[in-house]
Amino acid sequence: MAVSLDLVSGVLSFLFTVLILSYLIGDNPLFRVAVYVFVGAASGYIGSVIWWQALKPRLWDKLLSAVFSGSLADQILVLIPLIGAALILMKISPRMAGFARPSMAFLVGAGAAVTLGGALLGTLIPQVQATINIFDPQAAAARNIGAAEVLGNGAVVLFGTVASLAYFHFGAQQKSDGSMRRFGLIEIVAWFGRIFIGITLGAVFAGVYAAALTALIERFSSLVNFITLLRTTLGF
Amino acid sequence: MADMIQCPVCGADNPQNSDFCRNCRSPLATGDGMDSIQPGQVPTKKQTAELEPILPQWLRDARDAARQTEPQSSESLQQAEKTRPIASQQDLLAGLQSQADSNEEEEVPDWLANITGAQPKPSREEKTETGGVRWVEMGGKGDFPQEKSEEGAEMPSWLADLQSSQPQPEKDELTDWFRSEAQPQKTKPIPPLAHEESIPGVPADDTPDWLRQMAEDAGEKPEEPAAPASLPADTPDWLRGLESQQEKPQGEESAFFFEPIPGSSEAPTIPPAEMPDWLKSPAEAQKPAQDTTPKWLRAESGGTQEPEVPAWLASEDTIHFVTEGQPGEPAPDAFIADLPDWLKAAAPQSSIFDQPAEQQEESKPASSPETPDWLKPFQEADAPRQEAAPEPGDASFESAPAFTPDFKTGESDLFAEMPDWLSNVVEPPPTDTFSAPAPTPITNEDALAPSDLPAWVQAMRPVEPAGISSQPSFTGDQTLESRGALAGLQGVLPAAPGFTPTSKPKSYSIKLQTSDEQVAHAEILEQILAAETSPVPLESLPSLGASRGLRWFLTVAITVALFAALLLQPQFFSTPRLVPNEVLSVQSWFASLPIPQNAPVLVAFDYEPSRAAELEAAATPMLDMLVLFRHPAFTFVSTNETGSLLAERLIAQPLFAEHLNNNGFTYSNLGYLPGGQMGIRAFARETAGQFVAIILITDNAEAARAWVEQTQGTLNAAPVPFIVVSSAQAAPMIEPYYDSGQVTGIIPGLYGGAIFEQYNAGRPGTARSYWPAFSLGMLLAVLLVLGGGLLNLIVGLRERAAAKGGK
Repeated sequence: MAVSLDLVSGVLSFLFTVLILSYLIGDNPLFRVAVYVFVGAASGYIGSVIWWQALKPRLWDKLLSAVFSGSLADQILVLIPLIGAALILMKISPRMAGFARPSMAFLVGAGAAVTLGGALLGTLIPQVQATINIFDPQAAAARNIGAAEVLGNGAVVLFGTVASLAYFHFGAQQKSDGSMRRFGLIEIVAWFGRIFIGITLGAVFAGVYAAALTALIERFSSLVNFITLLRTTLGF
Repeated sequence: MADMIQCPVCGADNPQNSDFCRNCRSPLATGDGMDSIQPGQVPTKKQTAELEPILPQWLRDARDAARQTEPQSSESLQQAEKTRPIASQQDLLAGLQSQADSNEEEEVPDWLANITGAQPKPSREEKTETGGVRWVEMGGKGDFPQEKSEEGAEMPSWLADLQSSQPQPEKDELTDWFRSEAQPQKTKPIPPLAHEESIPGVPADDTPDWLRQMAEDAGEKPEEPAAPASLPADTPDWLRGLESQQEKPQGEESAFFFEPIPGSSEAPTIPPAEMPDWLKSPAEAQKPAQDTTPKWLRAESGGTQEPEVPAWLASEDTIHFVTEGQPGEPAPDAFIADLPDWLKAAAPQSSIFDQPAEQQEESKPASSPETPDWLKPFQEADAPRQEAAPEPGDASFESAPAFTPDFKTGESDLFAEMPDWLSNVVEPPPTDTFSAPAPTPITNEDALAPSDLPAWVQAMRPVEPAGISSQPSFTGDQTLESRGALAGLQGVLPAAPGFTPTSKPKSYSIKLQTSDEQVAHAEILEQILAAETSPVPLESLPSLGASRGLRWFLTVAITVALFAALLLQPQFFSTPRLVPNEVLSVQSWFASLPIPQNAPVLVAFDYEPSRAAELEAAATPMLDMLVLFRHPAFTFVSTNETGSLLAERLIAQPLFAEHLNNNGFTYSNLGYLPGGQMGIRAFARETAGQFVAIILITDNAEAARAWVEQTQGTLNAAPVPFIVVSSAQAAPMIEPYYDSGQVTGIIPGLYGGAIFEQYNAGRPGTARSYWPAFSLGMLLAVLLVLGGGLLNLIVGLRERAAAKGGK
């Protein structure tokens, strides 16, 4: 009797699903076994992916190619990342961790430059422009949005943005009784900002719940499908 | 007055049964235990040879040297032995003389040099000048006071003034007081000294006042009949008193300060020019060189009997004693009374006993530099009494040794192991040997009448309680010395009576005396400290009592509802009708679909496997529609290590399998894209313009922001549609990018997938199968949230009402 791969995968899927759901009764060895298996499998897979998809094609193969090709330029280009990687590997030893500073400095500097440039050009400026363009009638007309809706949406977005920012304004003055209170207008605006922030977090929570519910439904669906498979396979 | 006892010290009358003088607290009776050695007493012989090993090395060397020099004594020495006791070879201090005479430079401690008169380098020239007579105790002529240029720097000025015939410009602060006190003394008849004319520069006011006072007190006594010469003005009064008392019977002389006058005068050996002027009295002109032995030492040694004289005192024929014993002389109490207390206290106790006159005359040496400074005045004061010294031209004087062996051989061995003055202290000899009256030991107590003391001295007098009936006898002190030169000796340093506790120590309570207010403050402080040190429990929110039950209730409710929806597939939950703008924008893009056939489309897989079900359900309808319409060439890439595997999982679905098999659908999986944002930017720059659209499938808003930010410049250069298939949890954070136009459209989770599935011409889709359960689960969540909120509101109202009722 040949055992189908779907049945085996279905059994394992069912088994590990039950083990993970056993966390409902608290931390238990079954749950730990399932977690260890997943962590081990994921680590092994990630290791293989890094070797086969990062190190080998981008370093080893190019190194061999440069060595056998005899091109000095290729060799130098390969030698630079090789030296950088070797220096980073010295972080294994605390005594030689200082040698990794040049490579780490290069990585951090380059990453910071890329991140700051991307945040400035890809998020900050476009978002400011988008907030301003809410009141642009031409942009609204292009999106088939009426003037009243533009004003209404723009007013809500503008007030929500200002109120949310006011909520995170923590500047305050000391009163005569020693208590610290913010300026009255800021305090009022910040109170509305709390409402906008609450709605946003509620939306995020709904999204998280929806995502988790979808994952749970998928697991339950897999269990149902496995049981259905068993019924059809075994003839229940 | 027959029942009264006269104080031998102050002369005051005391009851017969009194032990101490009422006036000066001096002992009145000499009991058995109180008596020390008496004048003329012979020390008891003791065998102290066992103490030899514990002697210091220098002392043993000195003794050995003395033994070696002993056979070299001259005939005159043997002759002198008949009348002069000499220290035996076994004496503790034997050999010091010979050692001092040797050329070896052995450092002698200052204190020892002061006692013994040892000089580091006795010059031979000085010996020759003295006509071969070696001065007692390693002293030389140069050691005498005429060489004051060297000695004057080492002694106090007031002492130097007393001893020196040269005027001393230095005056201490007590000089004036001494001078003023000494004024009446000038009228006192004092035996004149020959040297008083030779001190022209010394004013009479240099005499210490306290000495003058004492001399003045002495002046109240019967004047001395003979005063050959008046003392110089700087002569201490007490010295004048001594001078005057020398004319008295010997019984009035103090055994302490009046040493036995040497039998043969050494005066001829001392040039008059080298002697202090004030010592140049007519009587002293014939006085031989004085013995430099401390008086107290010689007094203890027994005077004429000299049972044991240290070898360093008798090794040479430098001192000649005359055995002019004058037994029966009373103790010079009057003189002792004139002495200051501190001088009595400083003097050894064993030297304060009276001695017969013959002993005094025998042992009276001339003053020498070796004499301790504090004894020099006393020695010099004794000089006038040497009028009874033998003739200067006596042949036996020059040849006689300083000390002759003890004529009482039966007692001489005693001091072979111990200095005689020490043995006297330990074991006083019987007093009946001599006819002299019983000596009155002078203790450290005040020997002077209170009226004779200066005010500042009286203020320092110890006040003893009246309850003390008896004083400890220092002669009975048998403390064994354990260290130093006196190691092994017993009773050498007797404790003075004044050192005994005078009263019972006052007891102090250890209970803290505090007031109520202080106690209250201490309690407050203690409470504060206790509050600071005690741990403060952190306030934690009260946990729900039914958390476990609530958890199981929610678990059961959701599980049952989902299983029921999956198994039953109810149809009362319609597919979503309201299409959000971001989803509508995607539909609009698909409606126009401005991409050519088989155009390359980049699909980025950037989500975790745990979100695969949601994202696959959201992305599959859109990708299926795109494949159906344009048959694009998908290029899969992922910034997550598991992205490539998830891409393969997505393509492996039956829906895409059909396309692969029938529609010629192709794809390429580039796999993992390392480097994060830098990798995305590098990939976008490398592949700029190659893709007609970018589809991002992600469950993380940060990943969506990274893709938007890093591909913005490249994509904007050639406007490329950017569609994001996101998880429901990340969609709210990606929404601003849609509003800004940076993202073409968003398909948020299962809800967006369900919308797209409505337009796929009835093709099977995962979202539709999940939708009933998803809708039931969302409805259940809404009900639970509303029910929980309502329950919390009710509980809050009840608690508020209860709180108001309580108030």
